[in-house]
Amino acid sequence: MRVTESTKKLYDKLTWTWKPSSDKEAGDAIVKNLLLHWFPNKISKASLSWNYSMWLGTISFVLFMILVFTGVVLMFLYVPSVERAYSSVKDIEFVVSFGWLLRGMHRMAAHLMVAVVFFHMVRVFLTGAYKNGGAVGANRPLNWIIGIILLITTLLLSFTGYLLPWDQLAYWAITVGTNIARAAPLVGEATRFFLLGGNTIDQNTLIRFYVLHVFFLPMIVLLLFSYHMWRVRKDGGLAVTDHEALDQKPEKIAPVKSKTYSLLGITNGTTVHVQNTMVDEEKNTVPSSPHLLRRIWLVTLLTFVATFVLTIIFRAPLEAPANPAVTPNPAKAPWYFLWLQEIVTITTVKIGAFTINGALIGGILLPGILLALAIWWPYRDKSGLNSVGVWFAKERKIQNWVFISICALIIIFMLIGTFLRGPYWNFYWPWEAWPEMPVKF
Amino acid sequence: MKLYKKTGSKSLIANNNSLPETRRSFLQKLGLGGVLAGLAGFGWQSFRSLIPNVLYEPPQRFKIGLPANLAEGVTFLEDKRLYVFKEGRSFYAISAACTHLGCTVKYSKLNQPKQVEIGGEKKNIPFEFHCPCHGSKFYAEGTNYAGPAPRPLQWYKLEVSPDDGQLVVDMSSEAEQNFRLTV
Repeated sequence: MRVTESTKKLYDKLTWTWKPSSDKEAGDAIVKNLLLHWFPNKISKASLSWNYSMWLGTISFVLFMILVFTGVVLMFLYVPSVERAYSSVKDIEFVVSFGWLLRGMHRMAAHLMVAVVFFHMVRVFLTGAYKNGGAVGANRPLNWIIGIILLITTLLLSFTGYLLPWDQLAYWAITVGTNIARAAPLVGEATRFFLLGGNTIDQNTLIRFYVLHVFFLPMIVLLLFSYHMWRVRKDGGLAVTDHEALDQKPEKIAPVKSKTYSLLGITNGTTVHVQNTMVDEEKNTVPSSPHLLRRIWLVTLLTFVATFVLTIIFRAPLEAPANPAVTPNPAKAPWYFLWLQEIVTITTVKIGAFTINGALIGGILLPGILLALAIWWPYRDKSGLNSVGVWFAKERKIQNWVFISICALIIIFMLIGTFLRGPYWNFYWPWEAWPEMPVKF
Repeated sequence: MKLYKKTGSKSLIANNNSLPETRRSFLQKLGLGGVLAGLAGFGWQSFRSLIPNVLYEPPQRFKIGLPANLAEGVTFLEDKRLYVFKEGRSFYAISAACTHLGCTVKYSKLNQPKQVEIGGEKKNIPFEFHCPCHGSKFYAEGTNYAGPAPRPLQWYKLEVSPDDGQLVVDMSSEAEQNFRLTV
C-alpha cells in the first residue's frame, strides 16, 4: 500500500546514512545531512577512543538537551510569581502526572552537567588540548576560553534554576549571592539593585532570574556551544589527532597501479614511488557514518539512562517556603558552590582597624583571579608540540600538578562543606551528632 | 564625475589619507554612524528600562506599636528582621541582618552572663547573636567577635510618633551603638 511504502521510504531516508554500503556513501551522508554537517567525513580512531576524551563534551551536550526538553515542559507548569512559585513546584512534584520525574530529571541533569562540564575542562587541561597543533588557522586557546565561559554559564544556569522554587534554599542563595555582588567596590551597590530589581528580594527578583534561566543563559549556551563545536572542526579535530600526526613516520607506500599520463608510467604500468605520511590513511581513520554516529548514540543512550536511574534513586528535595525571618541552620549552598561558601567564610581579613569582608576576597577576588589565570594560561604555556593531546605529558608535569592541586583544593573544600559543617557553620566530624537547634526565634 | 574618477582613483592607491571627502563617502559614514547610534540608543534604553523608577517595597519607616505594649526585654519583628529591646523606659533596635552576607542572625540567650571587654569597657553580656550561614558571632549590643562578619550589627533610630504615641523605626537611618530612646 501507498502509506506503508512511503513510511518505509521515510524510514530509509532517516536511517540509511547510518549503515552506508560504501565509503563514498558514508561521506555523502555527512555532506548531505544537515544534522551531521558538523562531523568530519572521516574520523581518526584515536579521537573515537573512550579513554582519551571520555566523551565528556558529548555527555554534557546530551545533558543540556535533556535539560532543554524537560525545561520546556516545566515552563508550562511553573508560575514565576512570588505567591505561586512554591505551590506550583509542589504541584509539579505531587499532583502533575510524572511531574516528579520531569522535575527530578531536570534537576539531576543539571547536577550532572555541572560535574561533567567541570571534568571536561580538567580533561582538556591534563591532555594539553587547549594548545594548537599543526593545523593551519587553528585557535584552540580561543576555544578553551569559550569553554570557560560555557562552564560559568552552566553554573549561572544552575544558580538561577534553584532560585525558582522560591523555597528557603532559593531565598537565602539570592540573599548571599547578591550580597557578594554588593561587596564589589564602586559598582557593587548598583549591581545588587539591578539584579534584585529593587532593594528587597521580591517579585522583580524572581522574574529577572526566571527570564535569565529560561531564555538568556540557554541562548548563550546554544550560541557558544555551536561556535565551540565549529572551532573543534576548524582546529583540526581533537588534539589527539595532532599528536598522532607527529608520531607518523613517512613511510614508503607500495607502488599502486593507477592512471598515468607519463611515458614512464605507460611503460611500467605504475606510478613513481612516493614517501607519504599515514595521517589520513585508511588504517588510522574510519568513516564518521556509521562509526562516530554509533558511538554518539551510545553515549546519548547511556547518559539518558544514567540520568533516569539516578533520578529514580535520588528524589529531588524541596525545602520549606521562603521565609525572610528564619535562615536555615546550617544554610548550605548546593555542592558546586560549597567551596565558595567555605572561602567566603574564612577570608575576612583584619588590617589594623580596617576589615575587608570575606565576600570581596573569597567571593569576588579569588574566583576572579582563578578565572583570569585560566583564561591567560594557554598563552602562558610554552610547552612543545609533543605535549599536545597526550594525557599527563612529561613536559607539562609541573603545570598539570599545579592544576590538579587547585582542583583538589576546590573538591576538598566542597567535601568539608558537605560533610563537616554543621549548625552555625561549626566544624563537626561526620560521626558527631549536631546539637538540636530551635527553628523559631 | 569624470574629473573625480581620473584623479580620485589614482590618489586612492597613492595615498589613502588624502582621499577627498566625497558626497558618497560622507553619506556612507553618516549612515553607518546612524546605525551605530541607533544600536547604542536601543541598547541603552533596554538596559535603562530594567532599573526600576518606582518600587512597591514596604516602607523603611514604620510604626511598631505603643511603647507600653512592647514586652520587656527582646522582641523579634519577623517580617522586618529587627530586634527591638525594651529596658524599663528605654528602647533600642538592632538589625537581624548579618553584616557579612545578610543572613538572619539568631538571638541566643547565654546560660551564664559573660564578662567581656568591648572597646576598653567591661560589659556583662547576657545574650548573643549567631549567624547560621557562615558562623559569625555578635555580642548583645551587636559587636562582632567571631566569624567572617566585618562590622557590628546595625542599630536603627527609634522615635515616638507625635500623632498616636507609637514607636517608629526608621530603617533608613543608622544610629550609634549607644543610642537609647527614653520614653
